[in-house]
Amino acid sequence: MHLTQEQISDGLKRARYITNERVETAIFLALALEKPLLIEGPAGSGKTEVAKVLAEILHTDLIRLQCYEGLDEARALYEWNYQKQLLRMQADEQQGLRWEELSEHIFSRDYLLERPLLKAITAPSRIVLLIDEIDKADEEFEAFLLELLSDFQVSVPELGTLKARERPAVILTSNRARELSEALRRRCLHLFIDFPGIEQERKIIELKVPELDAKLAAEVARFVAAIRKLGLRKPPSIAETLDWARALMSLGIRELDTDAVRAALGVLLKHEDDRAKVESKASTLAPRAR
Amino acid sequence: MATLRDRLVGFIAALRTAGVRISVAESIDAMNAVVAAGIERRRMHEALAAALIKDEADRLNFDESFSRFFAAPARERGEHPDNRGAQVSAASGRGRPGENPSILDDQPPHKPDQPREGSAPELDDSSPPRQLQSEKKSPSSRRKDSEADRKGDHHERGDSESRSESAASQIDAARVARLRTIERMPFEKFSDLQYDEAREALAPLIRRFRIRLGRRLRLARTGRIDFRRTIRAGLQRGGAFLDLNFRARRPRHVDLVILADLSGSVRYAAQLMLELIAGARGCFRRVSSFVYVDHLAEADFEQGHLVMTPALDLYARSDFGRVLGELWTRRAGLLTRATIVVIMGDGRNNLLPPRADLVREIARTCRGVVWLNPEDPARWGTGDSAIKQYAREVNALVPSRNLRELQAALVRVA
Repeated sequence: MHLTQEQISDGLKRARYITNERVETAIFLALALEKPLLIEGPAGSGKTEVAKVLAEILHTDLIRLQCYEGLDEARALYEWNYQKQLLRMQADEQQGLRWEELSEHIFSRDYLLERPLLKAITAPSRIVLLIDEIDKADEEFEAFLLELLSDFQVSVPELGTLKARERPAVILTSNRARELSEALRRRCLHLFIDFPGIEQERKIIELKVPELDAKLAAEVARFVAAIRKLGLRKPPSIAETLDWARALMSLGIRELDTDAVRAALGVLLKHEDDRAKVESKASTLAPRAR
Repeated sequence: MATLRDRLVGFIAALRTAGVRISVAESIDAMNAVVAAGIERRRMHEALAAALIKDEADRLNFDESFSRFFAAPARERGEHPDNRGAQVSAASGRGRPGENPSILDDQPPHKPDQPREGSAPELDDSSPPRQLQSEKKSPSSRRKDSEADRKGDHHERGDSESRSESAASQIDAARVARLRTIERMPFEKFSDLQYDEAREALAPLIRRFRIRLGRRLRLARTGRIDFRRTIRAGLQRGGAFLDLNFRARRPRHVDLVILADLSGSVRYAAQLMLELIAGARGCFRRVSSFVYVDHLAEADFEQGHLVMTPALDLYARSDFGRVLGELWTRRAGLLTRATIVVIMGDGRNNLLPPRADLVREIARTCRGVVWLNPEDPARWGTGDSAIKQYAREVNALVPSRNLRELQAALVRVA
């Protein structure tokens, strides 16, 4: 089943994901061409969310592989359940089975621990596979992924080759902790998601924190956009903006003036230097300076 | 007769000329993407971007080329969908697009008989080729200009929201592009301005460097089995060795001694290296940094500024032989079997005695001596350069002409 771009656009709206045409087109193409989609962009700009929303649109499951340094095939693909195999062998000992029978037992699917990648391949229907923060994984793992992403099949020596019945929709995300290889880039479609613009962020706030006064929402969006340009150590993510909006609401703040900004800044900024920087400039940044 | 496929091939060729790397497979993807997404202008724009642009730094280039090749109609009007569809599917045939990058030559971008030229293009007809050329010459300077433009744009806060919004989304891309350029720019061409930019580029480099180093220290998942721990773990399961425990790799103790030349010619390279290593100092047991011109001074970084004690006369004639002597006599305690000595300099010694014998002594005492030379290898050993004499004594002599090479060299050292 192929979705048209309009369907995807509708689906995103229904899933309450506010975005632009660039994102829609990229998702559409990834599905239409059955290619992995590599999403880059600053932390907290909604990369991972794309995969979740996509699973929602396709009415399917999301399998997530969180990458980290030292991630290897055993953690990502499959591993034999060594403990269970040993127990089986001990249990079989009394019956005096021959080796062939025994190995047939202990090297069957029952004793295979399926890790995310194998799960994605053996899934009965098309699922969404999210390979999160691929830049954190080692280069060797990236090379291993290349092979998997091109054919969607793996061979387990004892079981033979397993091939995906339906190619999963694959989303990779990267924060640029390290440069990804050209080979991987070549095989993927690419999408860069930046922080939303002021107007877009205002819409997001209004959608997710509907109780907030519309005027204040616009001010929040403008303020956050302004401090993102200050070159902070960690610019606030969309989630943090939303938290901040909620915090302002529960503090009963109606207008964003200098004091209001100071009151709940800890929700927005997670580094002391950032906080100092913004506080020193709060009077010029706050829309209603006094 | 120019079909859409020809235009796409020409477009891809133009992108390649502008320095974007596009493989044949990617250009086939692009054709398929257009087939799937249709040729409504904005959508085709995004579709091509997703298929062809794998690095946000190239996005500006791409947008520019796109508006040049597929000019916007004066007003958005209904296209002839049937007609176009036929053309597109014809275009998606099995041809090997992108194999003929020279097509640009016989089909200049402003050729009048292009298919979607029913409406007047908004771009000045004569400008595209010239733009392309200037791009080839100095992409960096051009990017900087446009970046400056956009910054100016920001200062006037009150202007229309949509404009500043689109500018904001490009800012990050432009920054990335700039950092990439600086990473590849040779140190010789640096001025204070470039140095400041390089400092900015350093942060991600430091992070990557730390990750590379840290990886060596993580626990082993393979290797020699630790019997004691395995047996102990097995006891909990009735003596069956269910969990294998491996011997952790012992982290290597590495002491670094860094000698960095601060004299005019290699100053920027040296400071950047010191800062890069200072950022990753946690990965070594001890890091001692020294800078020198004609004698030795301890170097330290305080809030991003190089502090040296005692202060050096930066305009003195560099004398590495004397520096080596000072290190050997006064700081001999630092030179042990666990020490790696990293020397950054061009080995231009103003014809003073190079004391390469001391380098040999140091190499014998320490684990290794590595010389990083920011000079172009073609110029090594010319004029007053004593690098060839030192080269015989050190364990490795690595060229490090730009930030990228510098980082790669340091990874090899550690």
